[in-house]
Amino acid sequence: MIRYILRRLLLMIPVAFLVTVGVFVLVRLSPADPVLAFSGEERDPAALAAMREEFGLNQPLPVQYVAWVSHLLQGDLGRSFQTKQRVLEAIVERLPATAELGAAALLISVTLALIVGIASAIKRNSFVDIAASSVTLAGISFPSFFLAIVLILLFAYVIPGHLFPPGGYTPATQDLGDNLRRLVLPAVTLATGSLAVNLRQVRSSLLDVFGHDYMRTARAKGLRERTVIARHALKNALIPVVTLIGIQIGAIIEGAFITETIFFWPGIGRLAVTAIPSGDYPVVQGVVLVSAFSFMITTLLVDLLYAWLDPRISYETAAA
Amino acid sequence: MSGAAIPVALRVPREDRAGAIAYFARRNPRMIIGGALVLMWIFLALFAPVVAPYDPIKVNVSDSLIPPNWTHLLGTDDLGRDVLSRVIWGSRVSLFVGVISVSIGFLFGVSLGLAAGYLGGAFDLLAMRVIDALLAFPALVLAIAITSALGPQIQNAMIAIGIVAIPAYARLTRGQVLAVRAREFIVAARTIGCSPLRIVAWHIFPNVINALVVQATLATAFAILAEAALSFLGLGPQPPYPSWGQDINYSQRYLPNLKWWMSVGPGVAIFTAVFAFNFLGDALRDALDPRLRRSA
Repeated sequence: MIRYILRRLLLMIPVAFLVTVGVFVLVRLSPADPVLAFSGEERDPAALAAMREEFGLNQPLPVQYVAWVSHLLQGDLGRSFQTKQRVLEAIVERLPATAELGAAALLISVTLALIVGIASAIKRNSFVDIAASSVTLAGISFPSFFLAIVLILLFAYVIPGHLFPPGGYTPATQDLGDNLRRLVLPAVTLATGSLAVNLRQVRSSLLDVFGHDYMRTARAKGLRERTVIARHALKNALIPVVTLIGIQIGAIIEGAFITETIFFWPGIGRLAVTAIPSGDYPVVQGVVLVSAFSFMITTLLVDLLYAWLDPRISYETAAA
Repeated sequence: MSGAAIPVALRVPREDRAGAIAYFARRNPRMIIGGALVLMWIFLALFAPVVAPYDPIKVNVSDSLIPPNWTHLLGTDDLGRDVLSRVIWGSRVSLFVGVISVSIGFLFGVSLGLAAGYLGGAFDLLAMRVIDALLAFPALVLAIAITSALGPQIQNAMIAIGIVAIPAYARLTRGQVLAVRAREFIVAARTIGCSPLRIVAWHIFPNVINALVVQATLATAFAILAEAALSFLGLGPQPPYPSWGQDINYSQRYLPNLKWWMSVGPGVAIFTAVFAFNFLGDALRDALDPRLRRSA
């Protein structure tokens, strides 16, 4: 297992290198001059040249890249052009809000996917199954921002009592009730896309497991159907679901960009989106980099978990 | 070829042909529904100038914020522009971005996958690490990053979505090539002295095309959704040109006034277009994958 982990970590190094090169090139592709953006009203050529030298922007690109990576390794993602705040600091400040939203969305998505997925696999071709398949297909095709607007319209304006506010955020430490009320609509919006994928996976994994010999053996032994499903089917069917949930972290990160923007949720997605029109590239770059690394680490953890959960997977094969 | 050249036995009577179509429709309802919806959107996009009842960008303040009625089937926005006309013209942007970005992804992804799968060795290793690096980014985040770096324009959105689509094609093609390249007909082609380019283009590519067609259909659904998301964030076509995502974003400010029709038209348009390509893609996968066909 340790050899496998080391091997996976080693394989991550070239990928991480390419990711940093990609983000660096992206920022350099941008037509905006970071010195002009950072200097604000300052237009004195000598001052601008001095600033260019201070930022190392007069150096050749490979030198700039090495300098950028060395800062990165020390946790320095640069400063925002607009607020002059350290990017890492800004990200860390907003991370709890994104984590709260992501966790709530994942909880809704996984719970519903398990309940409905199991019901639709057990009662194949029933009303529940057909309804679940329709939800799956609709969920994949429904744009999250349109769903958000429909939910806001219904729950914040049309339905009497205005059950949930149309947006905004209150920290849980300040007012837990208000925090939860404001969390519902964005969490449901974010959960819907991944719910569709998770539901499909739970159902097809269970149907796959139902066809195996050990299920027939369990039933032949005279076990109750509930025991057969809980102890034999679910245990095996949930392994691919674990992988999928891990992969959903990526979907949650990208979904957060849209959902946080619509619901004025002060997370890292909204931080990046508000930075785009003003050309605040260090912030966009920082958020993209953090998203990519979070996604990479989650994928690695999921692979390790998968290998640990399923003894049939040989570490040697999985690493190849 | 003239009609007389076709053997008489191959001529299918008209009623049998209708029966065959009905049989096919019964066996493949998803392909029929998905295909019909796709054709409808293609038709609307191609003939938007004829089909759209009004000019989508002409401001007519006296007609502003009219709810759906027989004159304006989907109502009007705050500038008096007909929502239905904007939805129909918006389909041009979405389908155009879908087709171009999927073509970019197809061209680069398939070429890379064919070369990596056939050549193997160091090239394969390097190419797959590049693909891994692209996959390390959540797809939409990468598209947002590329478009924000290049500037909010429709062509940049196409490039961004195209780049994001590359890894899926490259991985799929490489996997298919690895499965095909050891087969007898490839060995035979190599033995008779065919060049690697000829083997890849004439012998391998036709054998992997089915899976790629399915991927292209599903990728078009993703491209439409991604374009709408980019437009929603202000990174797609710029106003006043109609775009589904941008129009939904614009309609947000009228939600408290319950002017729901401004967002419903483009929202339903995105849903039906994405749904159509997903539905068709799923049906094609079932029809073209022999394993799925057998298990059906």
